[in-house]
Amino acid sequence: MSEKIQFDVIVVGGGMAGSTAAAIAAREGLNVAVIERGQKPGGKNYFGGALYTHSLVDIYPDFFDRKPPLERPVTETGFWFLSEDGMVKATVQGGHVNSDPIDAYVALRAEFDLWWAEQAAAEGAFYIPKTLVTDFIYQDGKVIGVQTDRPEGDVYAPVVIICEGVNNLLTQKLGLIDHDLKISKTALAVKQLISLPAKDINARLGLPDSKHGMAISVVGDVSMGMPGLGFLYTTSNALSLGVGVTLDALEETQIKPYELLQRYLEHPAIAPLVKDGQLMEYGAHLIPEGGWTTLPKLYTDGAMVAGDAASMVNAIHWEGTNMAITAGKQAALTAIEAHHKQDFSAKALSAYQDRLGELFVLKDLKQYRKMSAFLKNHPDFMDIYPTFLNDALGMFFTGFGKPKGKLYKDILRSLTKRRPLLKVVGDMIAFGRAVTGI
Amino acid sequence: MTKKQTEFKRELPSVYIDDILMSLKYFTDEEELHLAIIDPAVCQACENQPCIDFCPVGAYRAQDGRTVQIAVQSCVECGTCRVLCPYQNISWKNPRGGFGVAYKFG
Repeated sequence: MSEKIQFDVIVVGGGMAGSTAAAIAAREGLNVAVIERGQKPGGKNYFGGALYTHSLVDIYPDFFDRKPPLERPVTETGFWFLSEDGMVKATVQGGHVNSDPIDAYVALRAEFDLWWAEQAAAEGAFYIPKTLVTDFIYQDGKVIGVQTDRPEGDVYAPVVIICEGVNNLLTQKLGLIDHDLKISKTALAVKQLISLPAKDINARLGLPDSKHGMAISVVGDVSMGMPGLGFLYTTSNALSLGVGVTLDALEETQIKPYELLQRYLEHPAIAPLVKDGQLMEYGAHLIPEGGWTTLPKLYTDGAMVAGDAASMVNAIHWEGTNMAITAGKQAALTAIEAHHKQDFSAKALSAYQDRLGELFVLKDLKQYRKMSAFLKNHPDFMDIYPTFLNDALGMFFTGFGKPKGKLYKDILRSLTKRRPLLKVVGDMIAFGRAVTGI
Repeated sequence: MTKKQTEFKRELPSVYIDDILMSLKYFTDEEELHLAIIDPAVCQACENQPCIDFCPVGAYRAQDGRTVQIAVQSCVECGTCRVLCPYQNISWKNPRGGFGVAYKFG
């Protein structure tokens, strides 16, 4: 019988939440093990996407001096509203977007998460890759470690921080949530990373040079009337385009996700952007969009849960990694406190939830708690209004020779033929309530 | 063709998913499969066999029109099948440590 492998803290999963928790706890001198099931941290992670630097700088104040593997800064961002054959753009550049440093940077997760893990390892965290956590080890009903799929692979620690990602089977096993992912509150996103020369990306998107980049939310025809969003991001030498739709919509329509994505890429306004590009990578990932409504219990005796595993995503604002970082940090601070007091009970770890309650994480999730229900109950929302915007602007600027009274009537009719005015007002009120949480 | 789709003038293009999967990197576990159909008879009797459509890598295919088989090696571990199978007839685990999809870019 070999000696018991004992740490102060075990982190399950080396993604954004996990490696942040590990760094903070290791910095305080705790012995931290990060158990990662992939070949290396980041290998299982897939997003649009952009990272928000304020959350990264909060963990490493000298973040930018460390030469992080970021792609382009997001210097232009906003919405593209797609109709079936047209597009209205509403993007912003300069002003608030032109902060110092720029707040959002496009990143690729395989590279970034590995680097983020290396920073935590430099703080003293010990990484155990290629290892799957299969269950917990309990003593008197308290978590005191984890079982892994390695021979004699039990690892012990008085506190375990679960950062296992969206498929939160361990969180379920621990009883922190009593159900698997809900199909109306989970989206499947698929993405293609398409390689193009930087000069073509700049010319096609109107970017002055490769130090400028875009993050676009694409609404309308892209989701074919399903609750969902498309996106476009610029990396240094590639465009990242994808679309996410809720699982219940996918079930109902029986649309193949990769065909929905291909249809987006073939849209008349999108196809010229990706023309002659080479597919670098395709991938798919679930997004837990239930937020507050699918939030598990965040702590129990000897364990806490953070990130996607805890449904910490604000889909409307493309936030998730920042919540994972913040939650990972707060879980680690709670673990440090627990070590000082030598108290790892649920009562002691409940400080984690209190801390998150004071921050944007739980505040935002609570405020947006009605959003997924709103989208489910307004299935046409993502279709009617983007199409109307295209019609309205298109007619406004082509109304030559038409009496303008008639023009405005026609514009109004392009809305009311799709949705009666009273329902439009109802939609707007319901949307306002879903956003404000009132 | 479902009702939703016919409302759109621009139809869905047909895509040969295997070409797209060439862009993915995997460490294939030759000894253990992390996905399995629990009872093949349930799939035989399943009317729509939605897994054939919703799987984002097309890992579910029907042989002879009815017998569902899984190309486990192309799975990207997204979890959709576990959640969407109408009969919860899929045994879903993560691959053993180190195996499965390994995104090059993410």
